[in-house]
Amino acid sequence: MKHLAVTLLLLVVAPRVYAIDAADLLRQVDRNLQPESYEMYRKLINIEPDGRRKEFVLYSVKKGGDKVLALFLDPPSEKGRSTLRLGDNMWLYIPNVGKPLRITSLQSVIGGVFNNADILRVDFAAEYDAESLEETSNGYTLQLKAKNTTVAYDRLVMQVDRKHKVPVIIEAYAASGMLIKTLRYSQMKDFGDGRPRPSVLETDSPLYKDYKSIMIYASIKARDLPDEVFSLNYMGRVDDLRGK
Amino acid sequence: MAVVLSLCVTLLAHAADEFSFDLSAYTAPSPFELHGYAELRQEYQSLDEDSPLYRLNFADSGRDALNRSIAALELSGSYRNGDSRIAGTWHGEQQHDELADHGAGRLYELYLAHQPDAGTTVEVGKRAVKWGKGYAWNPVGFIERPKDPNDPELSREGYVIAAADFIHTRGGDLHTLAFTPVLLPVTASVNDDFGQETGLNAAAKLYLLYRDIDIDLLWLSNGSRPGRIGLDFSTNLAPNFEIHGEYAYIHDHEQKVLDAGAMITRSYDAQTWLLGLRYLSERETTWIVEYYHDDRGYSEAQMQDFLGRVDTASEAMLPQLRSIGQTGYTRPTAMQDYVYLRVAQKDPFDILYFTPALTAIGNLDDDSWSLTPELLYTGIDDLELRLRATVLHGDRLSEFGAKPNDRKIELRLRYSF
Repeated sequence: MKHLAVTLLLLVVAPRVYAIDAADLLRQVDRNLQPESYEMYRKLINIEPDGRRKEFVLYSVKKGGDKVLALFLDPPSEKGRSTLRLGDNMWLYIPNVGKPLRITSLQSVIGGVFNNADILRVDFAAEYDAESLEETSNGYTLQLKAKNTTVAYDRLVMQVDRKHKVPVIIEAYAASGMLIKTLRYSQMKDFGDGRPRPSVLETDSPLYKDYKSIMIYASIKARDLPDEVFSLNYMGRVDDLRGK
Repeated sequence: MAVVLSLCVTLLAHAADEFSFDLSAYTAPSPFELHGYAELRQEYQSLDEDSPLYRLNFADSGRDALNRSIAALELSGSYRNGDSRIAGTWHGEQQHDELADHGAGRLYELYLAHQPDAGTTVEVGKRAVKWGKGYAWNPVGFIERPKDPNDPELSREGYVIAAADFIHTRGGDLHTLAFTPVLLPVTASVNDDFGQETGLNAAAKLYLLYRDIDIDLLWLSNGSRPGRIGLDFSTNLAPNFEIHGEYAYIHDHEQKVLDAGAMITRSYDAQTWLLGLRYLSERETTWIVEYYHDDRGYSEAQMQDFLGRVDTASEAMLPQLRSIGQTGYTRPTAMQDYVYLRVAQKDPFDILYFTPALTAIGNLDDDSWSLTPELLYTGIDDLELRLRATVLHGDRLSEFGAKPNDRKIELRLRYSF
């Protein structure tokens, strides 16, 4: 009887402990990928089936778990465009249009496989609940579920590297269970704060057969910025943050 | 073995190149910046010799078609020093057709901006201020030149203003507050096309981000233009479904209108509003639909009166009717009730950077409409190719039916640098 009670108690308590571990690992993954508040320079490359490439250079700043602002520096046709994300809200500012337009996480301001949620990525923990954690020979597998329907992917399966506690492969699924895209992190690099982080993110998708998109992180620096920077009125002035 | 090693080295070098990113060009931005675009447009217009406005525009030319070539250059530059920046935009166009050559260059913007902190900005100079949430029309665009609903993303000339911007972020339900006061002088040589009365005009916009809804409250003082107040909003009803709207109330609007063959000025309080939806389907088709109403527009009877007079006027009367037309009758979407529909498909047939679109503008007062299919390709570095055709349809004395052309094809090549 005593053994039965202990077994039942363990059955009830164990998943809860496991869920906490999963949530804790997800928080570690977020911090190991990038500081909570930072400025970043990235190059995004869309590669077409015939090998043709189109490149974009973005300057981005992030604050807290859910505020991201990105400015296009290249190519010239996109220069001056900026995108802002505040939680579930996203806007695109085009200089000629002169006022921010609401956009969605499923669209892509650059075309190709990366969508706006990938480009304006907030902390995983801000959008997903860690449902389960499984230990594998190379690390861990995290099962993540979107907190609400505004999140770009309904479910993520994240393979996490044991040593660095960063994602290696993320499979993103729609609510229907269909695989939307696969994200692969690679090339660990010390960006100057003594903590190695992946410097390359590649993605492909069954929806974009033979297309590939690559994100190259060249600089990630911790930087604290005032909240006012993350507002619609600031979107035409993002360039003023650079070099300061 | 040497061949294999050489191949490995080549492949490694290629991989390194694929993932290389020289940051030095970006991290230390030059205080000087210059960018812009050069553009070539070729237009073919099929003219409608029976239409009333053909008489106004082409008189006795006898032409049934018009080919027009346009070259445009737009330069935007800035110089930054600490918390201050001087920025400007110049736009020049040269056009040639079988009837005339015409060229002009305009300074669209030239202003000094000072930003002592992230939440405060002061701007003085010529500035294109853009207010409102609508794509095709902006009833609350109180201090800007009207945009062309057929090409709403074209840059526009600004006015000389002094403005400030104060941003306050507080979190919670009322996440952001931003206040933008503006002063706009009108004299014989400054902003003389803003309104008839000279003096100093004041305007203001208060922006709120309240529970995921963008809200603007807007105001323009009574001065060179009649005083007005307005409101706009935009929010997502679902992740892929946005709704936006604008409303403006104009006190003592003055309309110049033909009455029994003479121009009279009517004064009345006017309301203008817009309601729009934007929907993104699972197949990445974007649907934009807007309904627009403007009390300041002409009624069907007023427009028919003007067009009928043009239709039956003697040659000697045409110059006078031409100047009457310029007071408002011949401006784009000059009547009261319109619907705008744009459907754009991203990357169809797996062709990246290719966006076919269809835009329709319907005049609900006289049932005339314009239809514009469009092909846009941006896959070549720095080059944008756009092919458009426009078909106009309506009765002879309707807005779109009375236009001097009934079909137009335009190819636009734009090179950005």
